[in-house]
Amino acid sequence: MKSMKKKSVMLTFLMVFALSAILAACGGNNGNNTANSGNSGNSGTTNSTEQNSGGDGGEASGNELSGKVTFLTNRTDMIGKEYDEYVKRFNEKYPNIKIEFEASQTDYNQQAKVRMASGELPDLMFIPDIPNSDLPKYFAPLDDLQLSSGLTFKDFKSYDGKLYGITTGNSTSGIVYNKKAFADAGITEIPKTWDEFLAACEKLKQNGVIPLSSNFKDKWPLGSWVYDLPRVIENNKDFPNEIINTETPFTMDNGYGKAMSLIKELADKGYLEKDINSTNWEQSKKDIANGKMAMYFLGNWVINQVIGVGAESDNIGFFPLPFDNSGDSRAAFNPDFFYAVNKDSKNLEATKAFLTWMLEDSGYEDFAGFISPLEGRESKLSQLAEFQATGVELQEGMPDDPKVIEIRNKAQIDLPAIAQEFVLAKDPQAVLDKWNKAWAKAKQELGY
Amino acid sequence: MFGTMSYKTQKKLIIFTFLLIPVGLLLLFTYYPAAKLVFYSFTDWDGYSPEKPWVGLNNYKEVFSNPDIFGVFTHNFAYFVMGLIQNAVAIYFAVILNSKLRGRNGFRLLLFLPYIMNGVAVAFMFGYVFDTTQGSLNLFLQSIGLTKLGETSWLGTPGLVNYSLASTGLWRFMGYNMVIYIASLQAIPRDIYEAAKIDGANAWQTFWRITLPNMKPVIQLNLFLTVTGALEVFDLPFVLTKGGPAGASQTYVQRVVDTAFAYSDYGLASAMSIVLLFFVAAVVGLQQFVLSRGGSGK
Repeated sequence: MKSMKKKSVMLTFLMVFALSAILAACGGNNGNNTANSGNSGNSGTTNSTEQNSGGDGGEASGNELSGKVTFLTNRTDMIGKEYDEYVKRFNEKYPNIKIEFEASQTDYNQQAKVRMASGELPDLMFIPDIPNSDLPKYFAPLDDLQLSSGLTFKDFKSYDGKLYGITTGNSTSGIVYNKKAFADAGITEIPKTWDEFLAACEKLKQNGVIPLSSNFKDKWPLGSWVYDLPRVIENNKDFPNEIINTETPFTMDNGYGKAMSLIKELADKGYLEKDINSTNWEQSKKDIANGKMAMYFLGNWVINQVIGVGAESDNIGFFPLPFDNSGDSRAAFNPDFFYAVNKDSKNLEATKAFLTWMLEDSGYEDFAGFISPLEGRESKLSQLAEFQATGVELQEGMPDDPKVIEIRNKAQIDLPAIAQEFVLAKDPQAVLDKWNKAWAKAKQELGY
Repeated sequence: MFGTMSYKTQKKLIIFTFLLIPVGLLLLFTYYPAAKLVFYSFTDWDGYSPEKPWVGLNNYKEVFSNPDIFGVFTHNFAYFVMGLIQNAVAIYFAVILNSKLRGRNGFRLLLFLPYIMNGVAVAFMFGYVFDTTQGSLNLFLQSIGLTKLGETSWLGTPGLVNYSLASTGLWRFMGYNMVIYIASLQAIPRDIYEAAKIDGANAWQTFWRITLPNMKPVIQLNLFLTVTGALEVFDLPFVLTKGGPAGASQTYVQRVVDTAFAYSDYGLASAMSIVLLFFVAAVVGLQQFVLSRGGSGK
């Protein structure tokens, strides 16, 4: 009898344990649900009160702003280093705002989208690739930021006349090169036409240097060839969007065909890596730094990375790629990630204060190797100054037309992948025909 | 309170409570997402927006009407071939390492170790092995005088790339298959071998007539793992080639992932996953049918 009792106590304990675990799980769920529905239902009122109190504080004195701001960042390398220093400087101005950094996983875009789907956004984040019409669903308008000068790419992430995203920094693409490798090969002047460029490549090759590091295998490093160069060649900043009017966006005599033919020519003449299907990105940075490879055609962000693996800053130069023999000099001007502020943020004003500070005073653009998001600010990087001194015309990009993105996604068109196919193909025209067909089919199915 | 219950009720109750948590977890983390996947396959969801427009069977029609989508299965063939070789090698090592060999545990450990390593790390490591100009494989081939062979672009030649990638899989999973085979070998009663020895059977006859037939269920299991593994390859080409050169090493799962995450077409990607599920079931069913016919006389 006694043992029986013991057993039943044991059993009761187990039952209670099991049931409580389940109940806890249910409770947790319910709690979440109510919290969520509360948020969506009352977000207007809670927000306005928050804003009011924040606004009042702000009017009295900016230093009174308080609260915690979470910032989901892709620069995981800066957490605990540069960001700590930023927070220290920021807190001198706003001592009561606490900044918390969240490190993103490797795929920022994907992670941000998942969090958007679950409705759990940080206060400050970057905008993943969503159509601009979705911006008001998630983000707060930023037209009221007090900045010392105008913003670049103001229309890029705007909707209905309201500004939702501010570029974190801008970049341009061009030839990043090792000056010593050029000098050793007997190249005294930077090439200004495509023929001069080919001649320079030949000299480098004769000197035992790989002229241009394409990182062909990794696909993404081909981005400048297909996203920047076509519109620059066409001298039409809206070229990537205007293809919506045609059934054959990829032809040999338009920007896409011409740009891809340029890299194909380099590949066919042996001016790229010995085996373009076997390239190594990390190694290529070291090889550019030590002069085994001479050039990259990439965004200016790569300059700091090459310096980071040991190149002397004085030894790295930057010039626009001469894409034809006309002597025209143009380069694409592109924004990087865009900052955006969560519209349901509990500390909206504090978040905006931090964003303003990041844009004005952080010096992030120089650290990251960007051109400032604020109009008319000169870069502290010598390479960018050098680039601009060539008299190059910087062509501002246009926001992508969501319809073009929709067609591209539907047709599974990945421009760098098409460039890969084009370069490897014996018959490049067939590659263009194939993707034109896919484009036309998707365009027709979507009814554009 | 339990004292009054009958033994049977108590038993039922305790079984029920013990099962509640694992079954709950299983439902929550396996069957609920699977049901969601089926649901998404009938929608046109882009991956983040709250609306999930219902499109019926359109995604399935797309999967079956686009020859490109099924075309990538030809790339998986290389993994299947390598998988068969892998099983043969695994049986070979299992038989050797099951005999009285000095240091056999050490050898077993060495062969099994690659399986424990992280798949992405393995892929990354083999990136250095297969590199055309600096890779250890080509440097080795050149140092033994095979200069022509030592210039092969292992990951850059369309016909070769899948076999290069699959050989990495062989290196990694052979030890795993071997351990399963060793376990099954140890389950074969010794007296059968003794009887065969007395009857004068040689080593080959023992292997062919006793060892292999006794291992048949396990061979079936390993072939099942090989076939599903070959159909579901993802990490190797994803890390090493990104499907290149020009899509020559793209696998079906990689295409699914691209469809969902690069082209924001979660509906189509879900439908492709469901189709793969049925495809694997069909292939495994076919394999069971073929293999079990031979053994039905037993």
